Amino acid sequence: MSVLSPVLGRLLVIVGLLICAEPALAQKKEFKLGDMIKPFTPPSLSELDKTAGWQDRPVLDALELLRTKQAKEKPLATVAEALKLKNDSPKANNIILSALGRLPASEAAVDWDASIARHINFDIKSINPLLTSSTSEVDVNSLHGYALFSFDWNFVPFATKETVAKWQTSKDGLMDKVIIRDDLTWSDGKPITAHDVVFSFKVLLSSEVPIPAQRTGTDEIKWLEAYDDYTLVYFHKAALATNVWNLNFSVIPKHIFESTIADDPTLLKSKAHVAYENNPVVGGAYRIASRTPGQNIVLERREEYYMHKGKQVRDKPYFKTIRFQIVQDPTVALLSLRRGDIDELILTPTQWLEQTSSNEFYSKCTKAYATEWVSFHFLWNQKTPFFSDKRVRQAMGYAFDHEELLQKLRLGLDSPSTGIFHPDSQWAPKPAPKPMKQDLDKAEDLLAAAGWEDTDNDGILDKVINGKKVKFDFTILVANRQDRIDICNLLRTNLDQIGIRCTVRPLEFATLIQNMQDKTFEASFGGWGTGTDPDTSLNIWGKGENRNYGSYDNPEVDKLFEQGKREFDPARRRLIYQKIAQLVYDDQPYTWLFYQNAYYGFNKELRGYMFSPRGPYHYGPGFSSIYRPAMVE
Amino acid sequence: MASYLVRRLLLAVLTLFLTSLLIYALIRNMPGSPLALDMGNDPNFKLTDERKAQLEKLYGLDKPWAIGYRDWVFNVMRGDLGDSVPEKRSVVQAIRERLGPTLLLSCCSIALAYVASIPLGLYCSARSGKADERGISIALYALYSLPSYVTALMLLSLTFEYLRDTPFELPLQGMRSPNHDQMSSLGKGLDVLKHLLLPLTCLTYGSLAYDTRFIKANMEEALRQDYIRTARAKGASRLRILVRHAFRNTLIPFITILGLSLPGIVGGAVILESIFNWPGMGQLFYQSISRRDYELIMGLTLMFTVLTLIGQLLADLAYALVDPRITYH
Repeated sequence: MSVLSPVLGRLLVIVGLLICAEPALAQKKEFKLGDMIKPFTPPSLSELDKTAGWQDRPVLDALELLRTKQAKEKPLATVAEALKLKNDSPKANNIILSALGRLPASEAAVDWDASIARHINFDIKSINPLLTSSTSEVDVNSLHGYALFSFDWNFVPFATKETVAKWQTSKDGLMDKVIIRDDLTWSDGKPITAHDVVFSFKVLLSSEVPIPAQRTGTDEIKWLEAYDDYTLVYFHKAALATNVWNLNFSVIPKHIFESTIADDPTLLKSKAHVAYENNPVVGGAYRIASRTPGQNIVLERREEYYMHKGKQVRDKPYFKTIRFQIVQDPTVALLSLRRGDIDELILTPTQWLEQTSSNEFYSKCTKAYATEWVSFHFLWNQKTPFFSDKRVRQAMGYAFDHEELLQKLRLGLDSPSTGIFHPDSQWAPKPAPKPMKQDLDKAEDLLAAAGWEDTDNDGILDKVINGKKVKFDFTILVANRQDRIDICNLLRTNLDQIGIRCTVRPLEFATLIQNMQDKTFEASFGGWGTGTDPDTSLNIWGKGENRNYGSYDNPEVDKLFEQGKREFDPARRRLIYQKIAQLVYDDQPYTWLFYQNAYYGFNKELRGYMFSPRGPYHYGPGFSSIYRPAMVE
Repeated sequence: MASYLVRRLLLAVLTLFLTSLLIYALIRNMPGSPLALDMGNDPNFKLTDERKAQLEKLYGLDKPWAIGYRDWVFNVMRGDLGDSVPEKRSVVQAIRERLGPTLLLSCCSIALAYVASIPLGLYCSARSGKADERGISIALYALYSLPSYVTALMLLSLTFEYLRDTPFELPLQGMRSPNHDQMSSLGKGLDVLKHLLLPLTCLTYGSLAYDTRFIKANMEEALRQDYIRTARAKGASRLRILVRHAFRNTLIPFITILGLSLPGIVGGAVILESIFNWPGMGQLFYQSISRRDYELIMGLTLMFTVLTLIGQLLADLAYALVDPRITYH
């Protein structure tokens, strides 16, 4: 000990000197707003108006859209009848959705002072809409955020009537002109102008600002110009049908951030930005009334959102107060729903089947489900000796017991998946492919045709590849969740019957993702949600694309994706993606398994909920169609 | 004593370096990275080479791990623990938000466990072999073997079914009721107490059982000593023998576990925090690892290592207090 201490002491001195001498780390880089935007001189507005050939695009009120749709439909039952029902069949489900999903007949039918307690699993990390990255943040920040565009339940985009006066696209598809409404203010009273939108655009395209999620799409805009306080023109890099999806991004108040961002481009650290998190300036329908970290977030309706100079200028949001209650554990969340602490909840399949059927549950709640375009699959790595042959991949599909999966593991609640687009989607081939059924003989024939036979009678198929005998013995990677592991174990059992050895390897999620990205896997189990535009699938099926983990390579598909991006005619565009879907399905790079439906429990007093393929909230009107009636029947 | 403290301090610094180096090397070389996770499951997320380079810079993945570690050490020496990108706040702020609730839960738990286990342990050692002691021991074994997360869910379901709509109704989760801010100071205190009850019970009963058995075992060892027979022969009362003579001589192992529990005070309990939605450090640490939040993992590692070292030092110093035979040079 006495020998060591002088050594230790000297070590500390050396380290201390090194620290003081280290210059490079402390240097601060000068902040450049919008440094990722290539310089561009936009033409004058008068010049544009002369040459652009502006074509009007839809500016819609999502609630009006829904009202129009519902006017054509007759409710299948009265509210009272629907409330007496138990949701134990598709018929009952349709009745409940039809009766309880109707918008109010008149303003008097709504309880304008009502509140709702919504459920989220995890706390939001920031109320700054530019930093939104999790589902919880999307749910919360979409209520107080200012946005110009939305899309309906068919994923058709439109400019929102609440915030936009006029939307036009140039004849050549290279420019979009948006005139925003002049009757909106930030919650500190300053007017919302086109300069806020341009400022937000520049912030999103500043390399010093860490925005993992939101830069996607926005970085495909060449330039955004505010010609006056309310006129915006977006300049695109190319005339693509997908440009419309780049137009929408979150907007922050310029007058607040222009003076604070240079000091702290992370938007998180400086005193000013931390103070902003606690007292934000919002431009949307709701303001943040309070926020208890880890517990709840409370939003209050802003009168100045729908009233302007004493007149009502837009739809009054139905709820006065929205409380987001954070409950992490699904069991506790269901207890909270039954108790009335929360008014809506995503149910697990087991909860749907077994824990929400009692009279006690129905005394306060009801439930509904709908198709959601979230599908799951086995992914085959085509760079392995096993799965490079299409016949082997097809054999996997025939070997698997799809019936057992759907009826037993998925409890008879979900529907089979037959390709990259849902059968209801306009992009799916018509007629949609028939769901695969287990056929072990067919699987064996396909494998034999591909050269896999049990030549040494050890019960495992083998094949000579490059002079070496390879046994059909592979590992499938799966996330560490029991429901998913069970599905892979079913595969293992099925493959065992035809002489294929399969090892199921559950992995922690980040490790799984890394293996997928590095392509150091043979097979895996995974799932995808749906994008709003079919072009988002290019990322998965295009050669060399980021999410093409299985190394799928079909030049015709790549060509069709390029065509689809540039095709503006909706009918022709549809055909392109239907062809892509058919080609990909024939190649069987995945064995498609099932679509996971959305199962929700609702407080009986809620009305107006409607499901889209992205669930009940993440589309227009989404959450804003939900209300509490003035008189509860 | 002073040179002993200096030696301990230097050793502590060395331990800190080695621990942080090991952890940093481990997390940087583990498969999975925050960049890989960003690409997650969102089909709308596209990555160009330019974006990839920016994100790598943001997460510190553009440098080899040894350089990354060096930068982290230099920043820590300057008092900057860095920023957590997934948490969207500085590491210090992320920890600070969770520290209060964690301390409340764990300090109450430790205090309750010790306060209850000492008399219970002494009682068990006094009544060793008798029917009531057997009964208590069996009950304690049963409690100890019951996993806390099972008990938590059971208790929640039971209180929900049987205490609903009664004055004894307990909240299902969280630290505060929605109308907490409208309550009086007393009301606020009671509100937190009501929310604390179930998680505290689940967190404490295991250590209560363990500590009681621990004290009993040590007491039985102490009671076999000659000086106890002498005290009995001299006519000392049973209570005096138990408390003044035997118990004091079991304090050294007791202080050891007290000292080692110091990092546990801020370590939190991942599963219970998730079930009861208690905004604690356990969750934070667990999530930081699954999210590969390097800055936060290192900040938390630093904190836990420092606390462990302080705990050990305090325990060693306390030995000198309770046992006059122990001195340090």
